Amino acid sequence: MLFPSQLLSGRWTAVLGLLTAFSALIAPAVSVKEHDFKKCHQSGFCKRNRAFADQALATSSWQTPYHILPESRSFQDGQFQAVILKTINDQGETVRLPITVSFLKSGTARVTVDEEKRQKGEIELRHDSKARKERYNEAEQWVVVGGLDLDKEAKLAFEDKTQATVKYGPSSNFEAIIKFAPFGIEFKRDGATQIKLNDRGLLNMEHWRPKIDKPEPEKKEAEETTTEEKKEEEQPKGEDESTWWDESFGGNTDSKPRGPESVALDISFVDYEHIFGIPSHAGPLALKETRGGEGKYEEPYRLYNADVFEYILDSPMTLYGAIPFMQAHRKGSSVGVFWLNAAETWVDITKAKDSKNPLALGIGAKTSTHTHWVSESGLLDVFVFLGPTPQDLAKTYGELTGTTAMPQEFALGYHQCRWNYVSDEDVKDVDRKMDKHHIPYDVIWLDLEYTDEKKYFTWDSHTFPDPIGMGKQLDGHGRKLVTIVDPHIKNVDGYSVSTELKSKELATKNKEGNIFEGWCWPGSSHWIDAFNPAARAWWASLFQYSHYKGSMENTWIWNDMNEPSVFNGPETTMPKDNIHHGGWEHRDVHNLNGMTFHNATHHALISRKQGESRRPFVLTRSFFAGSQRIGPMWTGDNQAAWDHLQASIPMVLSQGISGMPFSGADVGGFFGNPEKDLQTRWYQAGIFYPFFRAHAHIDTRRREPYLAGEPYTSIITAAIRLRYSLLPSWYTLFRKAHLEGTPITRPMFYTHPTEEAGFDLDDQFFVGNTGLLAKPVTEQGKESVDIWIPDDEVYYDYFTYNTVPTSKGKKVTVDAPLDKIPLLMQGGHIFVRRDIPRRSSALMKWDDYTLVVTLPKDGKSAEGELYVDDGESFDYEKGQYIHRRFVLDSTAKTITSVDAEGRDEKDIKPGDWMKKMQECEVGVDKIIVVGAPASWNKKEVTVESDGKTWTAEVEYTPAEKGGRAAFAVIKKVGARIGADWKISFA
Amino acid sequence: MRRTDALLLVSGIAYSSFVAAESLPRGVGPEFAKFYGSKATFTCIGNPSIVLKSSQINDNSCDCPDGSDEPGTAACSYLDPLSPEQPLPGSLTGTTNTTNALPGFWCANEGHIGTYVPFMYVNDGVCDYELCCDGSEEFAHVGGVKCENRCAAVGKEWRRLEEERKQSKERSAKRRRTLVKEARELRRRVEVMIANLQEELKRLELKKGELQKKFEEAERSERGKVVKGEGQGGKLGVLLGLAKNRVSELRDTLDKVLDQRDDLQDKVDQLEDILKKLQDEYNPNFNDEGVKAAVKSWENYAAEQASGKGPELADADIMEILKEDSETSGINWAEFQEEGASDADIVYNLEAYLPPFARDYLHEKLNLLRVWLIENGILADNPTSSGESRLVTAAREALEAAKNELSSKTSTLEEEQRDLEKDYGPDDIFRALKGKCVSTDSGEYEYELCWMDRTTQKSKKGHGNTNMGNFVRIDREMADDEERADGKGLGKGQRMVLRYDNGQGCWNGPNRRTDVWLACAETEEVWRVREAEKCVYKMEVGTPAACEDVHEPGVKTKDEL
Repeated sequence: MLFPSQLLSGRWTAVLGLLTAFSALIAPAVSVKEHDFKKCHQSGFCKRNRAFADQALATSSWQTPYHILPESRSFQDGQFQAVILKTINDQGETVRLPITVSFLKSGTARVTVDEEKRQKGEIELRHDSKARKERYNEAEQWVVVGGLDLDKEAKLAFEDKTQATVKYGPSSNFEAIIKFAPFGIEFKRDGATQIKLNDRGLLNMEHWRPKIDKPEPEKKEAEETTTEEKKEEEQPKGEDESTWWDESFGGNTDSKPRGPESVALDISFVDYEHIFGIPSHAGPLALKETRGGEGKYEEPYRLYNADVFEYILDSPMTLYGAIPFMQAHRKGSSVGVFWLNAAETWVDITKAKDSKNPLALGIGAKTSTHTHWVSESGLLDVFVFLGPTPQDLAKTYGELTGTTAMPQEFALGYHQCRWNYVSDEDVKDVDRKMDKHHIPYDVIWLDLEYTDEKKYFTWDSHTFPDPIGMGKQLDGHGRKLVTIVDPHIKNVDGYSVSTELKSKELATKNKEGNIFEGWCWPGSSHWIDAFNPAARAWWASLFQYSHYKGSMENTWIWNDMNEPSVFNGPETTMPKDNIHHGGWEHRDVHNLNGMTFHNATHHALISRKQGESRRPFVLTRSFFAGSQRIGPMWTGDNQAAWDHLQASIPMVLSQGISGMPFSGADVGGFFGNPEKDLQTRWYQAGIFYPFFRAHAHIDTRRREPYLAGEPYTSIITAAIRLRYSLLPSWYTLFRKAHLEGTPITRPMFYTHPTEEAGFDLDDQFFVGNTGLLAKPVTEQGKESVDIWIPDDEVYYDYFTYNTVPTSKGKKVTVDAPLDKIPLLMQGGHIFVRRDIPRRSSALMKWDDYTLVVTLPKDGKSAEGELYVDDGESFDYEKGQYIHRRFVLDSTAKTITSVDAEGRDEKDIKPGDWMKKMQECEVGVDKIIVVGAPASWNKKEVTVESDGKTWTAEVEYTPAEKGGRAAFAVIKKVGARIGADWKISFA
Repeated sequence: MRRTDALLLVSGIAYSSFVAAESLPRGVGPEFAKFYGSKATFTCIGNPSIVLKSSQINDNSCDCPDGSDEPGTAACSYLDPLSPEQPLPGSLTGTTNTTNALPGFWCANEGHIGTYVPFMYVNDGVCDYELCCDGSEEFAHVGGVKCENRCAAVGKEWRRLEEERKQSKERSAKRRRTLVKEARELRRRVEVMIANLQEELKRLELKKGELQKKFEEAERSERGKVVKGEGQGGKLGVLLGLAKNRVSELRDTLDKVLDQRDDLQDKVDQLEDILKKLQDEYNPNFNDEGVKAAVKSWENYAAEQASGKGPELADADIMEILKEDSETSGINWAEFQEEGASDADIVYNLEAYLPPFARDYLHEKLNLLRVWLIENGILADNPTSSGESRLVTAAREALEAAKNELSSKTSTLEEEQRDLEKDYGPDDIFRALKGKCVSTDSGEYEYELCWMDRTTQKSKKGHGNTNMGNFVRIDREMADDEERADGKGLGKGQRMVLRYDNGQGCWNGPNRRTDVWLACAETEEVWRVREAEKCVYKMEVGTPAACEDVHEPGVKTKDEL
């Protein structure tokens, strides 16, 4: 809405502003209050940089004003250093921007650019600001945990006054060509260009400058609320300075004491058409172009953690968390970049046929992707990964930012949540009813209504008079309770947490340096500043059992609202000029904020009393690169609608390939009441979320699975039990993710990087390396799905063992009535199950295992893994785990189990859990060989283990015409799961 | 797909002499003992073609497609429609989506009552004492768990409680009988009342007829007098003129008042629209207490408006009055003017000429006019010619009174007749509780149940009372709760549910409603109230009125699990 405000007196403008606000209030409801969040043109630095890009790209003779001072360069121990000069005016004045290009042992290159004047503090801040003068340089401390060792083998292959070429990487097959003037860096692998920095000349580091007050041409009092409209007119020439010194949005003004300070860079992926990553966005896995046009977005992808109420789908809008890691893929090659910056960030994406070589135009022309990264403040700090496989990216990115924390096993079970279970009796009742209906679950959750008037660490004494009694009942079946604890602390007298937060000065401060006060659930609140080590230590003390009365060893925590959500703040979050520990402005650290809080809670829970040490469980809504080391995330407040079910799959896949696979969406949908069929399908999909939790808004009807009625309750129960029976495999995949940074549910491009037709598929996925290929039904009334088959391997239906008539690169239709989950088993794998349905994962601990072997097309071999430990302590760090590798070898006619890491069981001194595993003789019950040839039609096989030999009975079922593959079941194998064993079926 | 709950609770004593327990494989219930007799082999119960070595019984590996080889372990517990389906040749369905031939793991519970425990509870490391007090289902001691035999204590306690329950049931039954007696008496009273009313109505009908006749006679004779009355034409003419003007004035004023009302109504509508939009579109997650309070007040206001619509003057009626008087509407002034003479009595009885809807409305106005006329000396007080007309008035009033009495008695009769037909539950029992209320303290609220009337939430913080629903009907539903030691719970089985619907409109939701679940108890008592989801309340209430199976005290009908 535009008002001719220049023509009006200030008073009238104010009135009109009020009216606008009011009409916004009564405007027709849209799903997301879109106008609550900025578009690029409403974010000063984004607008400036987009305009800069437009200008550069429209000018054929565009020259970047950045060049390296050749004489400033040096190269030592895998590190290239120099000074970039930025020419800032026609007089040729320059500012100095020190650049470091580090070549790391992992083959990753890192380019860091700082600004000398700010670095040295030779700038002046406005408004008596207490903020730091440097560009924010501590993101690394929060995010990077390793992989920074320099590649001493990297060598300067060529060097002159115009450029330097460095060869580096695993076999020196990587190459970085640093061009001095104009400045740019080109990264090659095996001689072919992969990634170019500043190739299009969009590098922009807004250097510090003093504010020069120009004579204001008859400004009105109402200027602040109307800057948007004004600047159009007041900008005859030169740069758009209107948003340099302050800017307003939604009635909040950002004082910007350091002036303009954005950093921007263009990154081109040469010959790459498919790009992925930079979660979290509610859109397809493959990122779209953002400069408008059919099927493309108008807005850049935004990374600015925010509490987005009822978010819309298929949008580049920001969500609750951000991981600025992007990957580009083409047939047989994968590369990536990691933009280490915690400030508000926008990423524009365009694709173009290569025009560099006119001869390449036409049939042979390849498409490249051009990205433009823009952050509001901080260093320019970018990591370049040259792959060449998706697994390499996962590994090297994982080395830098860490891998998924090894979760407690219960965390992989089913989580039953609702806003809110209304009393301790209610919780106990749900607990009983789940048992009564034989539905396994591990965790029940309490949203914020359990507290005494939204004061965390307290209980509502009317509704939760006996939290310990409740906790004990849950513990009776090995179950856990998760309570919500958010970073806003109610500002009220007589609440010790609030009093201490204030008296100990541990809260985030406002721009004046006083404790920041804003509104959240409890009303007036303060926010813990988890950047402050003292605040974290204090936070840890609050979780001690002696302090958090009513919490128990089976109580775990949920951190919500940690973007942070501030109801009355700009874009529902904190003012950017708030000040954190160390004098950093909130703008510098915003996207890290959620992670620091999540981290504080995580550390608080490792030990809540002397001598305790257990893996914590803390769910977060907000996250950043590195949050995977702490705990799971969920995709926030979705809706009970089919399209939200659909959207959850690419969102979870995107988290997976971005290093944070422990993720899930609210099963059933948070807002609204799902129809029974939607709820059922959602469970059938949800069992494949690494984090599997049902949740519902306070205004929704009750929907615990046993309330659905038949046939829905039975179908949902069978789905949940499928999840539980496969827990040994899921846990093994988490171990893999923990060690190697690998995704848990895997999109086609990841598993089959040479099959281009699968690159854009984001509605089907493999469950780790188990060979299980799932495609959940996400459309109403749909009774079959078309599954795209990436290879020539044989596929069996999970539930019937039918051989599915597949062919490589084609889709196969699989029947999926409501009670059927489309799930295939790829030939060539061995995966592990526990078939006995129990009430919780804890009660499955001592059950025998079932191995499922899927014979491959060529019948030759199949293999798989099992990792198991006590599921809760850190003893696995001391070798207290079982890690088996199973191989079926058709030539040798054996199935063997050996230690996957070549350890000898006898060398491991068994701790409590290992001893019990041995004493209980937890072993292999049966082995199902799907697709077994007729040679398996025999009475028995020989089993050798623990120095003994015995026979096990075989039951062979020949193939059925028109479908079911032959299968053999080796019954009562009887070998211990932790022992080496060999089955001979000669 | 529906799971048939085959678990039975059978008295252990009945089978104690059946077989020697030691000779049976673990977990075999008495009625299945016959299948486990042979020493050498075992035949799957449901698949006689499958013969196993007896060593395969309870070897913790499932061999029979009906699960019968594992009566004492959890190994076959996945043979269940609730588990993911897998092919299983030999089972009835050819898959694991089948039913186990055995109902569960037999837990003998010596000293208490033997029972079947679901197979999936066997050897999971948890002592399920509430089912298996002898701890035998954890024989493998997985993870080091050891479940002691608690049957002696559990059995003793159970028998004590059972005795208590029995006694309590007897006391409840007694109270129920009293209630039934009361209800019967109340019903009888209603019946008597109805009979009396019917009698009285007959009498009233007669009386009305007589009065009607009297009135008509009086009127006829009076009308003659009026027509023949001495002429006071001149003065009456003036009066007529004045009255006509006054009526016009009144009509104009009414017209303006109406316009003003419409204006105000428009404004109210606008404001209500704004508030409604605020209610619909505010963001409830932005926990602004101010906005919430405003929306809440608005909702209460709206709810009141919806329920408490006062008698409203229909616009059509007003328009009728506003019409210019003419031959066909209002007062036909011309008629009086033409006759040249009129009578003050006519003015007194002006209203008699009006259409009935206008009569009541104008009655008051004209009375005022009459008073004004008298006070201003225009109309003589106590006019001489009114002696006879008073007779008519009296006759009419007597008739009206008779009519009123008749109609009020008729409606009382109808009401009582309806009441008699109303469902007051079995034996009419809630008749005895009608008009009584019980309440309970629950946190910041007190909840009140008024039998056959309404449920109410009373705030202790002074936010006023909230109607949680008005009684609609009595239903029956299956309760499925744990038995409580104190007996204050719904337990299992069919229970009466009193539906209370359409209570006060709810914050961001529908109208409140309450399901009042009843279970047998010695006294009326609200045990607990829960708002499991927004605006839907569940009250659990004990009352002797719900003791329906009291004639069979002591019989345990619950089926565990």
